[in-house]
Amino acid sequence: MRPDERKGVVAARRDQFPVGMRVLAVDDDPVCLKVLETLLLRCQYHVSTTNQAAIALKMLRENRDMFDLVISDVHMPDMDGFKLLELVGLEMDLPVIMLSVNGETKTVMKGITHGACDYLLKPVRIEELRNIWQHVVRRKFSTRDRANLDIYEECNKPSNADSDHAHGHVTCGSPDQSGRPSKKRKEYYSEEEDEGEEDNTQETDDPSAPKKPRVVWSVELHRKFVAAVNQLGIDKAVPKRILELMNVEKLTRENVASHLQKYRLYLKRLSAVASQQVSIVAALGGRDPFLHMGAFEGLQGYQAFTSSTSLSSFTPHGLINSPRNNPAAFGTQRVSASKSIQTVTGGHALNHSICDANKYHLSSPGNQQGNLGQGMATSLGQTQMQPKWIQEETDDLSTIFSGNGLANSGMSATLQGVTSSPLLPQELVECTQVKVGSQPSVLTPSVSSGHLEGTVGVSSSLLDPRVSQQTTIPLSEFSASGLPIHGLFNNSCATKLGATSSASTPVHPSDDLLVARDTKAGASSFGSTMLLPPDTEQKYLNFGGGNSFKHKFDERTADSLFDLKFVWSSGLSSQSASNIGAHHSISQRWNNSSSNNSNIGARMIGQPSSSASTVAPHAKSDFLISGDMLVPKNASDLSVPKLQSELSSSSCSFDGLLNSIIKVEKDDVSFSDDLGCSDFYSLGACI
Amino acid sequence: MKKSLFDQGYLDEQFCQVEDLQDEASPNFVEEVVTLFFKDSGRLMSNIEQALEKYPRDFNRWDAYMQQLKGSCCSIGASRMKNECMSFRDSCGQGNVEGCMRSFQKVKREHAVLRQKLESYFQLLRQAGPAGAATRPIM
Repeated sequence: MRPDERKGVVAARRDQFPVGMRVLAVDDDPVCLKVLETLLLRCQYHVSTTNQAAIALKMLRENRDMFDLVISDVHMPDMDGFKLLELVGLEMDLPVIMLSVNGETKTVMKGITHGACDYLLKPVRIEELRNIWQHVVRRKFSTRDRANLDIYEECNKPSNADSDHAHGHVTCGSPDQSGRPSKKRKEYYSEEEDEGEEDNTQETDDPSAPKKPRVVWSVELHRKFVAAVNQLGIDKAVPKRILELMNVEKLTRENVASHLQKYRLYLKRLSAVASQQVSIVAALGGRDPFLHMGAFEGLQGYQAFTSSTSLSSFTPHGLINSPRNNPAAFGTQRVSASKSIQTVTGGHALNHSICDANKYHLSSPGNQQGNLGQGMATSLGQTQMQPKWIQEETDDLSTIFSGNGLANSGMSATLQGVTSSPLLPQELVECTQVKVGSQPSVLTPSVSSGHLEGTVGVSSSLLDPRVSQQTTIPLSEFSASGLPIHGLFNNSCATKLGATSSASTPVHPSDDLLVARDTKAGASSFGSTMLLPPDTEQKYLNFGGGNSFKHKFDERTADSLFDLKFVWSSGLSSQSASNIGAHHSISQRWNNSSSNNSNIGARMIGQPSSSASTVAPHAKSDFLISGDMLVPKNASDLSVPKLQSELSSSSCSFDGLLNSIIKVEKDDVSFSDDLGCSDFYSLGACI
Repeated sequence: MKKSLFDQGYLDEQFCQVEDLQDEASPNFVEEVVTLFFKDSGRLMSNIEQALEKYPRDFNRWDAYMQQLKGSCCSIGASRMKNECMSFRDSCGQGNVEGCMRSFQKVKREHAVLRQKLESYFQLLRQAGPAGAATRPIM
């Protein structure tokens, strides 16, 4: 074990994984704790222990990146183990293993429902502990799923085996993936294979053979993918043909197949969201064009979408689209949203409303109309962000937001469409990233607009880079039209737009959003918008692209997304603060989906309060921003942390948020370290 | 002697695991853990005793405490004691005060016996020479 190396040194960790995995053990029984600690040390993990849950939480919160896994006893005097489990999962998105003498089914069930990734019975045996690293890998893997190339490269580093670890822990990459094409697991594999130590209990495909590098579904790649799928027709799209159409080197049919599977799920999710959105839109009065983001399929089209075609069909579409990667959808949605937004907005107010709507949207899908923001926030809080397409989530959020915003003015519909598009997290991430850089502030406002864009269409479309593009487009448009819209787009387009308006508006949007948000409470218009978003957000959230969400919105979207997510998750609970809550939920969701995202989500959830709403937007942006900045993957993590802090601190200072966001961007790099433990980890360490 | 401890069921396989964890890096690991166990279990048992008096028929409370004690026993492999803990919990579940009292007495007895046996065991180890892990008086 090399504790010092481990700390924050991704590469080092990566090579040694699972050796050096950092575990936090919590148990009030000193005997058990001691034995557990020693067992873990024997497995060559790095161990920290505490006998109080409160201290454990404190340690985790202080430095999220410090740990990879938490093992906790169920019965503890100061806090219930399940509660701790929930908090850790929500806030930090770390895998948590429960430990107890009690092995009754109902207790184990409780552990699982609270989110534990495993449940061990005392006395714990070392064999069981040897395998716990798989939970870390699995989580990272799923959140990072569409990890970008960076990770790929990182992972690729020949894991030269750091074979200093005596433990022959798994050489194979993620245990759960062992059967899969090595490409995907490259990171893990590379780490593991070199290690190839003996006693590896992991069943790897081929421990000695180098694993193929993991394929990172970048925005570009995803876009091609979506284009191919659209060309063939979603029903007829078979991996082989898609592969042919894509014509990308080093891509195997298996890669495409699994990506397609995710995409389909994403689309489904989107459509589900879309239908919700539709209702919202209907309530709003109509932004059909926006809602129709149906363009998922054509991410490519999203450009076209921007032209607003997509937006209209957004709602149903985006949401329904496969949750995962509907970057395309997202893109289109956004695009349309943006367009619509522009048109719709006409008035500045709209923007606000949209923004707000988005915000609300997130929080309470249900509330949509009234509480959009709030409801969403809370609902989202529910966290179940699926680690999937982070981007999607983000996109969704954006869409949602956008939807929300539009709803108010009518534009929201568009936004919703936009947001709903579950753009592939990747894309979103990418998009957001791009955007983030340029417009931190924009994010916020753009979120609303962006959201619409993204969310609407997104659901179906994978996050494809396209989506981001779409967003960008809207953004530019929006910026012109007004912040609110801009904001929306910013979020969605965040990544792409970055170049466009976002830059200019960054600041504004946030303000608008803030305003919007603040006013959310009263804004009925938002409500309508909100409705949609929640749906979309959920979709997005589910996609798990929490990360993407982050990125996309960078700032704005983040909020909306979060809100959306929250909304969904919580089912649109109370609106008031829900926005923020939504954010949290979103973040949480994301977290689920991606370690990064989740961070944000977790944070967000924490702050559902009204003030949070303002903060939330920020938070989101932060997330996005940070998310983007870092790395698509990590970014989310970073953003989250940032957001979190932002949220909490700046309850209403949107500006502050922006600043934070901006800062986030700057600090992305640094953040990633801390933020994304999960993300980071995934990136480099691949644990 | 160790064999007899196992044969008589005082200790189980978990104890072996604990022993396995001992190495050059932590030469007295087993003894440390056992010491810790007796210290902590003493505390837990007095908690239970108090609860039995202060909170009559508060089975939930008793059960919770006993659960903790059982956890400790499991961790070091004190199997007979663990069994008595389990029967105590069963009595709690049945709402059987008498049964609880009786079980608790048995738990105490097993605890004392185990302590004594382990003490001798460590002494023997020490006598066995530097190779033995124990280098200081147990408890």
